[in-house]
Amino acid sequence: MSGVSQDNAVTGNRLTRALIYTVLIFFVIYYLLPLYVMVVNSLKPLDEIRGGNLMALPQNWSLQPWRDAWSAAQIGVEPTGLKPYFANSFKIVVPAVILSTIVGALNGYVLTKCRFRGANVVFALLLLSCFIPFQIVLIPAARILGLLGIAGTIKGLILIHFVYGIGFSTLFFRNYYAAFPTELIGAAQIDGATFFQIFTRILLPNSGPIIVVTVIWQFTNQWNDFLFGASFSGFDSTPMTVALNNLVNSSTGVKEYNVHFAGAILAALPTLFVYVVSGRYFVRGLMAGAVKG
Amino acid sequence: MAALTIENLKKSYGSVKVLKGIDLDIEDGGFLVLVGPSGCGKSTLLNTIAGLEEISGGDIKIGGVSVDGLHPSKRDIAMVFQSYALYPNMTVAKNISFGMEIRGLPKSEIMATINEVAALLQIEDLLGRKPSQLSGGQRQRVAMGRALVRDPQVFLFDEPLSNLDAKLRVDMRTEIKRLHQRLKTTIVYVTHDQIEALTLATKIAVLKDGCLQQAGTPDEIYNNPANMFVASFMGSPSMNLMRAKVSEEAGQFTIEITSGAATALTLPVNGIADLQAYVGKSVMFGIRPEALTDPDGSDKKHGAEIVTRAAVIEVVEPAGSDTFAVARLGGIEAVARLRADAEVEAGQTSSLAFNMTKAVFFDPETELRIR
Repeated sequence: MSGVSQDNAVTGNRLTRALIYTVLIFFVIYYLLPLYVMVVNSLKPLDEIRGGNLMALPQNWSLQPWRDAWSAAQIGVEPTGLKPYFANSFKIVVPAVILSTIVGALNGYVLTKCRFRGANVVFALLLLSCFIPFQIVLIPAARILGLLGIAGTIKGLILIHFVYGIGFSTLFFRNYYAAFPTELIGAAQIDGATFFQIFTRILLPNSGPIIVVTVIWQFTNQWNDFLFGASFSGFDSTPMTVALNNLVNSSTGVKEYNVHFAGAILAALPTLFVYVVSGRYFVRGLMAGAVKG
Repeated sequence: MAALTIENLKKSYGSVKVLKGIDLDIEDGGFLVLVGPSGCGKSTLLNTIAGLEEISGGDIKIGGVSVDGLHPSKRDIAMVFQSYALYPNMTVAKNISFGMEIRGLPKSEIMATINEVAALLQIEDLLGRKPSQLSGGQRQRVAMGRALVRDPQVFLFDEPLSNLDAKLRVDMRTEIKRLHQRLKTTIVYVTHDQIEALTLATKIAVLKDGCLQQAGTPDEIYNNPANMFVASFMGSPSMNLMRAKVSEEAGQFTIEITSGAATALTLPVNGIADLQAYVGKSVMFGIRPEALTDPDGSDKKHGAEIVTRAAVIEVVEPAGSDTFAVARLGGIEAVARLRADAEVEAGQTSSLAFNMTKAVFFDPETELRIR
């Protein structure tokens, strides 16, 4: 009797498994297809793409489109490729990510462990900044950048991304530190640690997961930003995303689709890299916050 | 080492008054235990002594000097937290030395102090480990080690044993007592466990709703409670409290315990002068289980004050060293503590000996003691 029901359970199990795998494999293909199209076509000479089949593998493999996209393609008026803009993006995003993460951590610390009157109001206002649409702040931001004399510069874009990043990084750190035992802060105070010693020696060393989460979040958002880049960058501070748009939309000459594909992949590589390297921390970090909070 | 004095201490969060004017002191080298139910303000009181929370009124003096407004690190105190609050990113050695490092002591001195304290607490093998690799009892020791290296005027313990399992709790309790006898440093200790309070303290302060109910030696608190709350909070099983009617005949007070249709139980009372005011009225009669025994187990030196009465035994609970019996006294339930080999059986009527020298009386309205 029990033997029979066990058999049934096993076959039933196999069937469900097969079904689950079928669905999963279908979705994997569905999601990977665009990447496949981009990679395959970025490795073809242009006439093969024009020839017809986007899905076909290249007949003549060629890295030339990648080289062109990187260093020779016409972006706007200059035939520089994406290389200088790639560097611009790094110069903007790296300082902005570091600054907004540090300030977010400090905010989280003050909002949870040095409670002051109106702390919740301040936090609510900071939280609100996460939900303000970019378009609303464009004109005020342009005015302020002008007043500071950093309009159209890399510094200006760093400032914009840094300030815009504070809202989210504060949210992340505040919620993480809210679950951080206050007794530890008390113990450190009794040990004589100052405000910043507590921050650097007790809080930050125990913030690994949330730092990773914040950095990934800020990096991908700021790297992928187009609106601020398009609005506030000057001739030599244009970020990658805007340059990619200029490359794809350049109105002169033939449309070099293979170069466009290669450029698009290049533009996406850093965020992909960050995900692959620290993705598991991202999941772990979000989970840690969720369980503790 | 220093005496600690708390004068009319008040603490409120907005409109919520947590501490309502506490007056308390402990002499140099004393062991003060703050005890009370959850939310009575005992941890808040400890935190204000530590300086982790500001006070709203009154004063706290350590060694005769007011510490109001002083930073926690400048009060010359050390604290052991309920959760131990070990720095998770540091090794045991670093945890212990962190405060000394901050104060900029020389390395050689830090190393010497760590080794000394580690030897005292028998945690030498653990110095290189992280807190996550320690068991509860080991964490407890490390937390105490971190407090010990400060060599403070006053130690503050915030329910340090409540996260340990029962056996370890008893061991650590003994160890804390031994440590106190050895160091002779003033200790303020918060607990909700009345056994811990009675075993450790030289002075117990019972708190309820932010008010001090009674402060005194363990013996005073246990045998001479100031009100019904203290009487029922301390002791396990807790004191039997029964409503009783007072009458007087030729200078002899008698109380009568009765409930519903049950036969009344009368007991003579001596030496409680203030009962005069309650003649013809009700009082609360309190008697601890150990003063309510089988006649053979009664305290013979109080011969004349031992009164024997028959009572119906409802439940018998053998507990190894003693046997507890739930009896009906004039219809009211009461717990008696009998010798382990006392011959009682559930459902039968047995004689119970009342040690009336241990009886206490309270006003049913004010719940205050009648002496």
